Amino acid sequence: MTQALTHFIKALRAADVRVSTAESIEAAATLETVGFGERTLLKTALSQVLAKSLDDKARFDECFEAYFSSRALDGERTPRAAADDPDAEADSTPDGLAAEGAGGGGSGGGGSGEDSLLALLERGDGASLQQRLAQAAFNVQLQNIRLFTQRGMYIRRMLEDMGIEQVEELLYQLIKRDDDDPRAERLREAKARLSEDVAAHVDQQMLLYTANAGRQLREEILQKTPLARVEMRDFKVMHELVRKLAKRLVALHARRRAVARRGRLDVRHTIRRNIEYDGLLFDTVWKRVRVDRPKVVAVCDVSGSVAQVARFLLMFLYSVSEVIPKVRSFAFSNYLGEVTELFETQPVETAVTETINRWGMGATDYGGALAELERLTLDDIDHRTTVLILGDARSNYSDPGERALRRIHERARRVLWLNPEPHQLWNTGDSEMRKLAAACDRVEPCRSLRHLERVISEIARTAV
Amino acid sequence: MNAAAPTESPARAAIVDIQHGLATSGYIASDAIATVLYLARALSKPVLVEGPPGVGKTELANAAAKLIDKPLIRLQCYEGLDESRALYEWKYGKQLLYTQVLKEKLGDLMAGAQGLKESIARLHEFDDTFFNEEFLEPRPLLKALWAEHGAVLLIDEIDKSDQEFEAFLLELLSDYQISIPEIGTVRAKHPPLVFLTSNNTREIGDALKRRCLHLYIPFPDYKLEQRIIESRVPELEARLRTQLVSFVQGLRGLDLKKVPAVSETIDWARTLVLMHANELDTQLVRQTLNVLLKFQDDIENVDAEIPALTRTANKS
Repeated sequence: MTQALTHFIKALRAADVRVSTAESIEAAATLETVGFGERTLLKTALSQVLAKSLDDKARFDECFEAYFSSRALDGERTPRAAADDPDAEADSTPDGLAAEGAGGGGSGGGGSGEDSLLALLERGDGASLQQRLAQAAFNVQLQNIRLFTQRGMYIRRMLEDMGIEQVEELLYQLIKRDDDDPRAERLREAKARLSEDVAAHVDQQMLLYTANAGRQLREEILQKTPLARVEMRDFKVMHELVRKLAKRLVALHARRRAVARRGRLDVRHTIRRNIEYDGLLFDTVWKRVRVDRPKVVAVCDVSGSVAQVARFLLMFLYSVSEVIPKVRSFAFSNYLGEVTELFETQPVETAVTETINRWGMGATDYGGALAELERLTLDDIDHRTTVLILGDARSNYSDPGERALRRIHERARRVLWLNPEPHQLWNTGDSEMRKLAAACDRVEPCRSLRHLERVISEIARTAV
Repeated sequence: MNAAAPTESPARAAIVDIQHGLATSGYIASDAIATVLYLARALSKPVLVEGPPGVGKTELANAAAKLIDKPLIRLQCYEGLDESRALYEWKYGKQLLYTQVLKEKLGDLMAGAQGLKESIARLHEFDDTFFNEEFLEPRPLLKALWAEHGAVLLIDEIDKSDQEFEAFLLELLSDYQISIPEIGTVRAKHPPLVFLTSNNTREIGDALKRRCLHLYIPFPDYKLEQRIIESRVPELEARLRTQLVSFVQGLRGLDLKKVPAVSETIDWARTLVLMHANELDTQLVRQTLNVLLKFQDDIENVDAEIPALTRTANKS
C-alpha cells in the first residue's frame, strides 16, 4: 500500500504539486480510514489531503487518472478489478522485495519461482503477465525514469527482468529447426504483444514522472544563463520566471505593510508607565503600528548596448509594478521618458516592446537622462524612496551626469545601480561606473536571473 | 447522494450518514463536502474551505455544528485582527479596580513586617494574583479550547487577516493548543472541529495549508442546485424550480463581473414565491434581475440575453 502511495506522491511532485512529508503521512492515514475499495471516494479524499489549491487539484486529478488507470492495461480485467488494483499491487510488494533479493543472487530475475515467462506466454495468462510486468517495473525502479532517451533501456531491462532471454533462446532454437513451426509463430506473436505492453507501460510512467522534468531543467539552466545570451524562443519561459521571482520577492517582504491601528489605548503600557505616578492613569500610551509605504523609482537604460538585458529588466520592472503599488518607471537612451502609465495599462509584451521602440535605439546620454530624471522626480523623492538604476554606465564619452545623481542621492533613502556588464569591464572605455558609483549606495553586477533575485531581495528586505 | 457501491465500505457508509444528517438541517452536501467532514473528524484536522462567495462556506460550519450537536464559535477575521481580539485579553478594568481596593488592605497585610526586604518577600507570596484565569477574558479561540464538550470553531475569511495572524494560528491548528505567556500552554480538552474559510483575496501561506485539509466548493451543478433550492424553498413548485435553476446556470456561463451564487439563487426563488409567479417570462426576469445580479453593468449587459436564456430555461 505504502509503495503505491509513495510512487503516486512522487508522480504528483513531478507534476509540480508540492507535497510535504507531513502531508504524505496524512495521506497514508487517509488511506487507512478510507480504504482502497472505492475509487471516487479515494480520489476525493486524497485530493483534499494532498492538493491545496485549485491548480493543484486540477493537476492532482490528471495524475490520479493516469496513475491508477495505468494498472489496468489488460483488456481481460473488468473496470471493477481495476479499482481494486492498487490493492493487488500492495499485496505484491513484499514479494517484490523478495524477488529483488533473488535477482541480486544471480538468477537474473525471471524464470525462477513459479511459472516461467515462457509458460505464461504460451498459456496466454494475461493476469499473471500483468502482475509480472508490474513486478518487473518495480524491480528495475521504473519510477526513476527521467529522460526520453532512457526509454529503450528501461523497456529492455524490464523484459529481461521478466525472463525474456529464455523465450528468445527457445524461439531461436525453434526457428533454426523449422522455419514455419506453428509454436514459434504463436510464441513470436505473444512476445511481440508483451513488448508492446511493456513499451506502453514505460511510456505511461514516463509521462507521469517526467511531465515537468524537462521544463524544470530548462528553468534551472535559464536562471544561470547571462541575460544577454538568452534566446528569443525562451522569452516565454523567461517571463514566467521573472514573474514568479517578482511575486515571491514581494510576498516575502510585503509583511511590514500592516495597517496602523488608530486611537486604541494600550492598557498594558499605560499601567506600566504610570506606576511612577502612583498608579494614577495620567500618561496614556496609544497603540500604533508604523505604516511602511515604500516607493520605488526605477530607471532603465534601453539603448543598443544593453538592449538584450533591458528586455528582462523591463519585464522585471513590469512584474514589480504589478505587485508594489508605488513604482514609477522610466526608460531612456538619448531621451528619458516615464513609462509608468504604459506599464499600468498594457500587457507585458506590448509594454516592453513599446518602451524599447519609443525610447531605445538612441545613443545613450547619461548626463541628459539623469538631469531629466532629477527634474521629473526630485520633488517626489523622499526618505522612503528607493531609486533603482539599470544600465551599463557607458555614456559615449559625454557627461555622465553624476552631479544630478548626487542630488537625487542626497534626498533618497538609497540609490542602487545594477550593471549588466561583468565586473572586469567596468571603468573600461567609455564606462563611467566609477564616477557614478560615488553617488550610489551600492553598485551590483546583474547578469543573470540569479543575480537579479539576490539584489532585489536585498533591496526588498531593507526598503520595500 | 450517489448510489452506494455494491460492497459498501464503512467509510462510505459514514459519509452517506453525514450527508443525510446535513440534509436534515437543510444543507445539501456534495460528496466532496461530506468526505471532508468525515476526514476532518477521523484524522482530527482543520478544514480550509475555499470557493467563490455565496456557495455556502460559512453555512457548512453552521450545519456541521448542528450535525454533531456542538456550539459554534465564530471568529470573523479582518485586517488588523490581533491576539487580544482573537485569543484573550486581560480584564484591565477589573485588575485596576482590585489594585485600588487592595491598596487599602496593604497596610493590614504588611503589619508586623520588619523592613523593606521582609515586606517585599511577603508581597511575593501574592505574586500571580493579577495574572490568573480569574482576570482572563476569553476570546473566540480560547473559548473554543476551553469548551467543556468540544465545539465547532469557524475562522471566517482568513484571507482578510494579516499574515502575522495566520502564523499565530499555526500552533492552534496543528496541536490544538495555545501559549499564553503569563499562564503557560492551554491545551484543548476536546479538540474542536475547525473550519477556516477563504475567498482567495490573497494567497494563503503554505504552512497553514499544510496543516489543513483543503476543500474547494465550486458553484453547484444543475442537479445539486435543484436539490438545494428544493430543500431551502420548498414552497416553489417543481416546474418553476427547474426553469429557475437552468436560467441561473445559463447566466453563470456569461461573462459577468459578479456571477450569481447559490445564495442569490435562493433569494431569487424566494422572490418568485412572493410574487406568485408560476412561469418564468422575460418581463418577470427583467423585474427581478437585481436580486441575482449586483452590478448595474451586469444587468445592462445581460439584458439582451434574457429572452434567449428564458427560452432555453423554459424548455428544460
